[in-house]
Amino acid sequence: MKNKTTRFLITSLAGVALLCVCVFAFFAIHMSGKSATTINEVGTLYMSSMSQQTSIHFESIINIQMNQLESLINAIPSEAVHSDRELREELISQAKARDFAYLGFCGQDGKLDMLYGSQLTITDPDPFLLSLRDREEKVAIGTNAEGEKVILLGTPSPHPAVSGGGCAALVAGLPVTYISDHLSLEENEERAYSFIIRKDGSFVIRSSDAYRNNYFERVRAIYEDVNGMTPDQYLEELSAAMERNEDYSNEFTVREERYHLYCTRLPRSEWYLITFMPYGTMDSIVRNFSAEWGTLTVLSGAVILAALLLVFYKYYGLTRQQLREVEESRAAAEAARLEAEDAQREAENAQWEAEHANRAKSEFLSNMSHDIRTPMNAIVGMTAIATANIDDKQQVQNCLKKITMSSKHLLGLINDVLDMSKIESGKMTLNMDQVSLQEVVDGIVSICQPQVRAKRQQFDVFIHDISAENVICDSVRLNQVLINLLSNAIKFTPDGGEIHVALYEEDSPRGEDYVRIHVQVKDNGIGMSKEFQKHLFDSFAREDSARVHRTEGTGLGMAITKFIVVDAMGGTIDVKSRQGQGTEFIITLDLEKAAAMEEDMILPSWDMLVVDDDRQLCESTVASLGSIGVKAEWALDGNSALRMINRRHRRGDDYHIILLDWKLPDMDGIAIARRIREEQGNDVPILLISAYDWGEIERDAKDAGITGFIAKPLFRSTLFNSLRQFVETDGEAEETVQTEARRDLTGRQILLAEDNELNWEIASELLGQEGLKLDWAENGQICVEMLAASPVGYYDAVLMDIRMPVMGGYEATQVIRSLEREDKDLPIIAMTADAFAEDVKRSLECGMNAHVAKPIDVREVMRLLDKFIK
Amino acid sequence: MTLKECYAAMGGDYEEAMGRLRSERLVQKFVLKFLDDGSYRLLCDSLAAGDRGEAFRAAHTIKGVCGNLAFNTLLESSEALTEALRDGRPPQPGEEDLIRRVQEDYQRTVQAIRTFQEGAPA
Repeated sequence: MKNKTTRFLITSLAGVALLCVCVFAFFAIHMSGKSATTINEVGTLYMSSMSQQTSIHFESIINIQMNQLESLINAIPSEAVHSDRELREELISQAKARDFAYLGFCGQDGKLDMLYGSQLTITDPDPFLLSLRDREEKVAIGTNAEGEKVILLGTPSPHPAVSGGGCAALVAGLPVTYISDHLSLEENEERAYSFIIRKDGSFVIRSSDAYRNNYFERVRAIYEDVNGMTPDQYLEELSAAMERNEDYSNEFTVREERYHLYCTRLPRSEWYLITFMPYGTMDSIVRNFSAEWGTLTVLSGAVILAALLLVFYKYYGLTRQQLREVEESRAAAEAARLEAEDAQREAENAQWEAEHANRAKSEFLSNMSHDIRTPMNAIVGMTAIATANIDDKQQVQNCLKKITMSSKHLLGLINDVLDMSKIESGKMTLNMDQVSLQEVVDGIVSICQPQVRAKRQQFDVFIHDISAENVICDSVRLNQVLINLLSNAIKFTPDGGEIHVALYEEDSPRGEDYVRIHVQVKDNGIGMSKEFQKHLFDSFAREDSARVHRTEGTGLGMAITKFIVVDAMGGTIDVKSRQGQGTEFIITLDLEKAAAMEEDMILPSWDMLVVDDDRQLCESTVASLGSIGVKAEWALDGNSALRMINRRHRRGDDYHIILLDWKLPDMDGIAIARRIREEQGNDVPILLISAYDWGEIERDAKDAGITGFIAKPLFRSTLFNSLRQFVETDGEAEETVQTEARRDLTGRQILLAEDNELNWEIASELLGQEGLKLDWAENGQICVEMLAASPVGYYDAVLMDIRMPVMGGYEATQVIRSLEREDKDLPIIAMTADAFAEDVKRSLECGMNAHVAKPIDVREVMRLLDKFIK
Repeated sequence: MTLKECYAAMGGDYEEAMGRLRSERLVQKFVLKFLDDGSYRLLCDSLAAGDRGEAFRAAHTIKGVCGNLAFNTLLESSEALTEALRDGRPPQPGEEDLIRRVQEDYQRTVQAIRTFQEGAPA
C-alpha cells in the first residue's frame, strides 16, 4: 500500500514536471520563432521609417539647394538686361555666395557650359534632360575633370537671358561629401549605414568600405546568401522593384552577419537609397527581450515546479504519516493477533499437555499391562507345563526356576512402579542417614554376584583411596541406583564379558564438610545407540532392537535412577556408550561427611602380603592397611608372591597374614595357597580376596588351606573387620567363614511373629547363628501383646509373618504403630511367602519398613535389619 | 538313605536347603521336624469343614515351610493351591486336582522323610 501510494505520487510528480517543461519549452520555442518574425517586421518597419527619414532629409537638402538655386536665379532681375558677361558675373557671384562649387548652363544636348568650376560631365544625362525639358527640377550625378563625383542640381532656367542661347537649365554642382555629410550615411551607433545607387547599380554615394563602382558587382562578389536566394536572383528582384518605383526590403548574410536591407527611391532623382542595418543590434534588443522572456519562463516554470514539488512533498509526508499510522494500527492489530495466537497456542499446549499426560498415562498403563503380562504369562505357562510334566523332575525344576525368575521380575516391576508413582506424586523423599559406602558397595556386590556368576562375567570392584567411608545419604536409594546400574550392566553384557565398578573420591566444591564421590559402572556389553541415549531416562524406555529383545526389565529403572541421583540427591549422571563396545555410567554425588568413626581402627603392626594382578588395587589396599597400622607389601603374580613368601620364611620372618586374589594370571589363589601350605604348613592365615560369591569354590579353597575369604571391595573397614579376628585369636586361623563385614548385630533382640513352629525354628536357628536373640510370637495378637509388655527399647525389630491366625501381620503392624510407646516406630519387616505386588505394597502401607520373601534369605534379612535398626 | 537321597526322593533341592541352612545337621533337624508340622492336618480339616480362609492360611504355611526347606515339589503344589484359595475365591474347576496333588506330594514327602528317619542315626 505504501509503495503504491509512493509510486503514484512520484509518477504524477514526474508527469506534471514533464508537462511543465513541455509547456514552457513550447512557449520558449514559439516565442523565439515569434521573435525572429518580430525582428523581421520591426526591422522592416524601422528601416522603412529610417529610409523615409533619410529620403525626407535628402529631399529637404535638395530642396534647400534647389531653393538656393532658384533664389540665385530670382536675384537677377529679368528687366535689367545685362550683357551676357554681366549676367554670368552676376550668376557667379550669387552662386559663390550660396556655396555652390560649380555652376554652369546645360544645353539641350546635355553639354555643360561651365560658369565656374572645372568642366563637369553628366553621368547619365538622358533622364536628367528629360526632366528638365518637362520643367522639373532634377538632381543628377556627374564627374569633374579630375573624375570626382559631383552632385548636380538642375533647374529649368526661367530667365530669358539664361534661357537664351539654347540653354536648357542652370546646373549647380556640389561635392558628393556635402550630401553624404548631411545625410550622415556613414555607420552610426546602431551600425546602420546607407548609400545611394543608380538604377544600374553604380554608386552615387558609396559607403566608406565599398571600393567598387557598382553595387551590383559588389553584391555578386561578396554576398553569400540573400534570404535563401542567390545574389543574382536578389538583384533581379531589386531591379524589378526599382522599375516599379516600389520600396524593397530583404535580409542577407555577409561574413556570417545578418543584415537587413531597405531600398527606397529618392525624390527628384533617379537614385535609390539603400540602407543596411546589422541584425546584431536588433537581435541584441530582441534577444535581450527573448532572454528575459526565457529566463522568466524558466523561472516561472521552476517556481511552479517548486510549488508542485512542495505540494507533493507535503502530500507525500502526509501520506507517509497516514501510512505510518495505518502501519502502526496494523502492527497493533498484528500484535493483538499474535497475542491471541499465543494465547491460543498456549491453550493448545495446555490441551496437548493434558492430552499428552493422559496419553502418557494410557501408555504407561498399556506398557505396564504388557510388562506385567509377560512374566505372568511365563508363570502361568510354566505352571501349566510343569503340571503336565509333573513326573519329569528335571522339567518341573526347570519350570520352577523360570517361574521364580518371572516372579522376581514381577516383584521388581511392581516396586519400580511404586517408586515411579511416588516420584510422580512428589512423595519420594530421601531418608538421610549415616551410610557406610563400604556397606553399600558390599551390599550391591553380594546382590549382583549370583547374576554375575550365572553369566560367567568378569567382575571387578575398585576402591580408590576413599577417606570418608561414612557419609550422609539415603542408603536405600543409593543402593537402588547402584543395583539398577549394575544389574543393567550385567543384563546387557553377554556371557563372559567384563564389568567394572569403581568408587573414587575427590574434594567437593561444596566445602570441607562434603566429599565428592564418583561411582563408575562400566561394561563391555552391547552398548546403546545414540538415539536411545536421548530417551534413556524416559519411563518405559527400552532399546527396541533384536539385540535386546530377550532382555527383560521394567523400563522404569533409569527414570527412577535419574530422579534419585539428579532430582533428589542433586548429583549428575554421565553416560558414555557405543553400540557393540559397552556402556559407562558415572554418578557424581556431593555427600556430607559423617562424623568421625567411633571405633579406632588400629591393628597390630603386622607384616602382610597382598597379591593381586591389579597394581592399583594393591597400592590402594597397602595404603588402606597402612592407615590401620599394618605394614604391607604386594606382588602382582603368584610366582613373585611365592618367592617373597619363601624368602621371608627362610629368614624366619613370616608374613602374619597373606591376602590372595582368587584370579591371577599365572596361578589362581587356591593354587598358591596349596603351595604355601605344602611348603610352610598351616601357620600363616591366608585370606582369599574375591568379588565373587565364594560358595562354589569354598570347598576347594578350604581343602587348599585357605583360612577365609575377604570380599571386594577392600574398604578400610572391610580390611579391619576381616583382620580383627586374627587379633583376638592372636593370629590363629579361625574356622568361621568371614562372610560379610557388617555392623555387629550380636545380641540384638528380635521379635518374630510366625504361626508355624517349623518356620519359627528355622528362622530362629538361622538368625540365632548371626548372633540375634529371638522371641517367638505365634500370631499377630501375641506379637502385639509381647511388645506392649516389654520395656521400651527392648526389642530392636520385629520380623512379621503376614498370614497368621487370630491376627495377621498387617493388622498387627497397624496396632503396633498406633501404640503409645516411644519405640512404636521400631523396624518391622514383613516375612512372607507372598511375593505379590499387592502384598509388598500393602505391607508398606501398613507401616512396615520392608518386605522379604520366604524362603528365608538370612543375608537379606540381616541386611535389612542392619539397615533399619538404629 | 542319606539326607540327599531323601531330598531326591521327595523332589526337593538338597543344595538349596544346604545353601540356606548352612549345615547338614540343621537341615536334618528341620526335615525331621516337618513330620510334626500341623499345617497339613489343618489344611485337610479346613477343606473338609469348608473353611476356605483357614485352608488358605494352612496351604500358605505349608508353602512357606516347604520354601524354607526347599521341598520344591510340595512347594509348587501347595503354592498352586494357595493361589486357588487366596482371598476367599470360590471353588474353581480343577481345584480338586490341586488338592489331590498337594495330598500326593505331601504323602511322597512324608514318605521320603520317614524312610530317611528310619535309616538315620538316632
